This record gives sequence, C-alpha cells and structure tokens, in this order.
Amino acid sequence: MSRKSRDTETRINKEPLSIGRIAMYVCLFIGALIMIFPFYWMITGAFKTWTEVNKIPPTLIPENPFNLENFIYAFKTAPFGRYFINSILALIGCIVTCSFTTILAAFAFSRLRFPGREFIFSLLLSLMMVPYEMIIITNYRTIVHWNLHDTIWALILPFMSSIFYTYILKGFFDSVPESLYQAAKVDGCSDWKYLWRVMVPMAKSSLATIILLNAIATWNSFLWPMIATNSKEVRTLPFGLYAFMTEGGQRNERMMAASTIVVIPMIIIFLFARKYIISGMSRGGIKG
Amino acid sequence: MRIRLENIVKRFDDNTAVNDFSAVIESGELVTLLGPSGCGKSTMLNMLSGILYPTEGKIYFDDDDVTFMSSEKRGIGLVFQNYALYPHMTVLENICFPLEIKKVPKAERIERAKKMAELVHVEGMLNRKPGQLSGGQQQRVAIARALVKEPRLLLLDEPLSNLDARLRIEMREEIRRIQLETGVTTIFVTHDQEEAMSISDHIILMKLGVLQQYDKPQALYDQPANCFVADFLGNPPINKVAGVVQDGKVLLGEDKIDSGIKVDVADGTRVWLSFRAESVILDNSSSLRAKVIMTSVMGKEVITSFDLAGKEVRGYMDANAELQRDQEIGIRFKNSGVFVFDYESGERYL
Repeated sequence: MSRKSRDTETRINKEPLSIGRIAMYVCLFIGALIMIFPFYWMITGAFKTWTEVNKIPPTLIPENPFNLENFIYAFKTAPFGRYFINSILALIGCIVTCSFTTILAAFAFSRLRFPGREFIFSLLLSLMMVPYEMIIITNYRTIVHWNLHDTIWALILPFMSSIFYTYILKGFFDSVPESLYQAAKVDGCSDWKYLWRVMVPMAKSSLATIILLNAIATWNSFLWPMIATNSKEVRTLPFGLYAFMTEGGQRNERMMAASTIVVIPMIIIFLFARKYIISGMSRGGIKG
Repeated sequence: MRIRLENIVKRFDDNTAVNDFSAVIESGELVTLLGPSGCGKSTMLNMLSGILYPTEGKIYFDDDDVTFMSSEKRGIGLVFQNYALYPHMTVLENICFPLEIKKVPKAERIERAKKMAELVHVEGMLNRKPGQLSGGQQQRVAIARALVKEPRLLLLDEPLSNLDARLRIEMREEIRRIQLETGVTTIFVTHDQEEAMSISDHIILMKLGVLQQYDKPQALYDQPANCFVADFLGNPPINKVAGVVQDGKVLLGEDKIDSGIKVDVADGTRVWLSFRAESVILDNSSSLRAKVIMTSVMGKEVITSFDLAGKEVRGYMDANAELQRDQEIGIRFKNSGVFVFDYESGERYL
C-alpha cells in the first residue's frame, strides 16, 4: 500500500507540467483561497480594533496581532465560557449515549437472529425519510411534558440514538466474516464480550467517523438548542453567538472574536482527524 | 476422545443435507470427511461443532450425548478456511483469547499460548498482527488458537484451500505432525482427495449427504465400495468403459469386445469396467486390442492414452515400447485395480 502510493507520487512528480495540469492547480488554488479567506478574515478580524476593521483599504495582517480585547469583551458581556461548557457537555452526552446505542443496535441488526429483524430495520430506515423539522415539534412537546425544557438534558435526550449511524455501523459489522463470530462462540465467548472485544475494536475507523460526524452535528446544531433552551445557563455556543449578535449590537470585530471561539475547536478536531472523516465520507458515500 | 454418530439426519426445509449418517471415530485418530462440494461434509462438521443441530440422530463424545449441547460446552477447537483470526489482535492475543474467555489467569495463559506457538512454529512473530503474516503462518496461528484450550476434538474446515500448492503440501504435513504430537482426535474436512489420502488415518467419503465408504486411505483406493468412490479417488482418474455381461464375461462397447474380465452376474446386466491407469499392461500377444492416441511423458513415467472399445482411456505403459500414434496394441489387466460396477446403481460386482 505504502509502496504503491509512493510509486504514484514519483510518477506524478516526474510528469512534465502540462497546460492542463497548470490550469488544474490554478483552479484548485483559487478554490482554496475562496474557501479559506473568510476564515482568515474572521480570525484576523478578531484581533483588530473597531477602527481597523472599518479601515479602507483593509489590512490583511492586524496591526496588533496580540490584541485580545475583543475576546475579553466577548467573554465579559456574554457568558461564552458557560456556553462553551454547555456545548462540551451536550457534545459528550450525545456522543457517549449515541455511540453506545448505535453499537448495540448495529450488532443486533447485523448478528443476532430474532423474528422481524429485517422488517424492523427497514421500518427504522424509512423513518430517516421524515424531515427533521417535523420531529422537532413532537420532540419539543415531549421535552416540555417531561419538564426538561431549558435543561442540558433537552439537548442530549433527542439525540441518544441515530438510525443513520446505526446503518453505517451495521454495514461494517455485516462485512466481518461470520466465522469470526463462530470461532468466538466455540470458545465460549458471550455476545456481549464478542461485541466489545472483537467487533468494536475492529470497527475503530467506522466508529471514529460516526463520532466525528456526530460531534460536528452536535457542535453546530442551532435550531434545536434555540427551541429547547432559553436561559443563558444552558445555551450552547451557536445559539449563544446568535444571542450575542442581537444583544451586542453591530461590532464586527467582537462578533468575529466570538465566532472564532465557536469555530476553533472544530477546526482543531478536523485537523487531527481528517483522515477518518474523509475515509468515512468516501466509504459510506455520505455527503457532508 | 471417541466419537459416535448415530443415524444423523439434517434437513434444511425440503433439502436433506445429511442422510442417515452413522460412524465411529476412534480416539486420537485423524479422520477426513471427503467429498465433492455440496456433499454435506461441512454440515456434518457444523453439527459436530454445535453450530448446527441435527434433525434426527445422536452424537456421542465418549459416552456423553452432545447432540444438542452448545458449542462452548463441547470442548472443541475449530479452524476455519479463512482462519478467522481477529485482525486487531496480535498473534499472542489471538492465541490467548480462548483462555481469556475461560478466565485463565494472565500469566498462565501467556505461558500456554507461547508453548502452543512453539508447537506450530510461530514463536518468532508473537507481536505481529494477522495482516502481517503469510497465509501459512496465519493458518498455524489459527491451529494454535484452536489447540490452546486443549480441546477434546479438533475440527478443521477446509483449512488448506486458501493456500498455494506448495504451502498446502507443507501445511498438511504440519497438521499431521501437530496432530500426532498432541494426540488430539481430529476431523478434517476437504474436497481434495490427495490431501485426504496423505494425512488421514481413515477417510469418510460422502456424496449427497450419504456416507459412501469409511476406511483407510489405501483401502478406499484399492477396494472402492462403489463406482462413485472409484471415480472420486485417484489421479489420473480411473478409466471407465461401458459394457454388458454375457456368459459371465464383461463385453465392452458397441462391438462387444471381450475384456477378459469375468464377473458373476446375470447375462445382459449393463456394467462399467473401471480400471486404474497402473492396472493395464502392454501385451501384444493379448487378444484385447486398442489403438494408441498419444503418449505423454510425466517425469519418470510415460502415460499413454488409447482407444479401447471406442472410449479414450489412459495407462502407464512401458517407456521403452516407443508407441506411435494410431499404432494397434494388445493389452491385458492386472489382478488389482480392476473393478466392475453396475451401470445404473454403481454397485460393485468385482
């Protein structure tokens, strides 16, 4: 594998730069620039003063790159620290519970034999067709009914399981040869132990993909937290940012500092785990 | 451990995979379940391992009725065609895993696993993952994993079919060596007659779920119970010429050529005359005539194909005879390796 990729690499490097290739690189460069520039603008903007942000012509590099005033302001006026903790709590809560139920469900649908297995699974799959906005109404009613409105639980409870992730993981479990299961069974291995000692470690990269997708979705989720929470104590970052925007007035440099706080953790995660995200995307045929 | 199978029947819906199968496998023997694909040998193995339960009949391990006992209580080791090693575990962890399940203390299981690894000659690669091993090495690890809990019975399901030809010969000798060293009763499933012949104490030959013959390898070859057994074993395959019995003689082909073979069945019975390539002798004084089609040199031997009563057959001929194409020769048969079977039922008459 590694030798093969090295071969292709040298082959590409040796190839003369044709006009087509130059054009391709130029297009990629422009595309990358368009994608990256807003982030760059946002992050640098966070370090600028109000006058500098509104200066014409604009500066590409902040005059004082260590100006943390905007961040301090953001943390002072809105409890971004609290939002951050809430986001992390919701994230951990969702990932832990959802991964757990996903693993169990995927294993059951993939390996255990019980009457109606196929029927139940296709029923669940068909539920994926129901638009999210529709579920919000019933979820909201449930949450209110259980007196969980405006609590962290409201952010976690509806996302404790996922048909979609179950479907991805079941696909992987299905590809594990049945003989591994039989070999373990003959040795007296219980289903529970087999799942955690054999299946889950083998599914590491699928699980990583699921966890990452889940993390991104939870971190960025806006609509549900806006509906399910109200007070500052339980707001998550995206909703907090929105609130900051309406409550804080039009001060772009402050907004950019707040946005940077929201976005940075995900960018860091992406940089570390992009191998898993990309492989998961291409394997599962998921569109991001 | 002695295994007794009594009238085993296994049906899948309307399809009978194994039918009225009875056999006794003696303790410490290596017995091969041999047969073409779909003959029920893997089904039989799965019933022995407890993955499947028989529809009818009984299975005894020594005196214990294990017919419906679950796999893990039977004390068996199982080796699969695809080895079924856990890809995320090292060789050592793989071999330790059955002991881990049995809650053997860690120090002891590592010691036992290492001993097993030495037995199968993988002691130098304990920290590698299965993906870093060759097929033969993976198979060795799989055998070690199956043997580490000291099973009463070792079951091998086509363990060599994923290996290349040279490794296959090496591994089958290894399996035999390991089996003799441990003395574990072993059942080996294969569709490869050569594999079966070379390593087994006894062979059970099956066809369409029915036991055809259960005997020593050489006996299966020398004294086939029926036409199927004779056809299945031997390389080159046994020669078959259709004939009819008249006055106790087997007459071959449309022209009713006297083969010189005598058989005690009713006149007019349609039969197969089957003979091994080594059972035919060049003898130009013989009245049984044949025509040479071609000769091919197979290393130290010369195999000649010739036309006998309209059918192409093959025999090992005298290399010095320098037979030419279309040359007419006389042949006769040796006393061994010549059989007469019923044309329809395959029942053996001679």
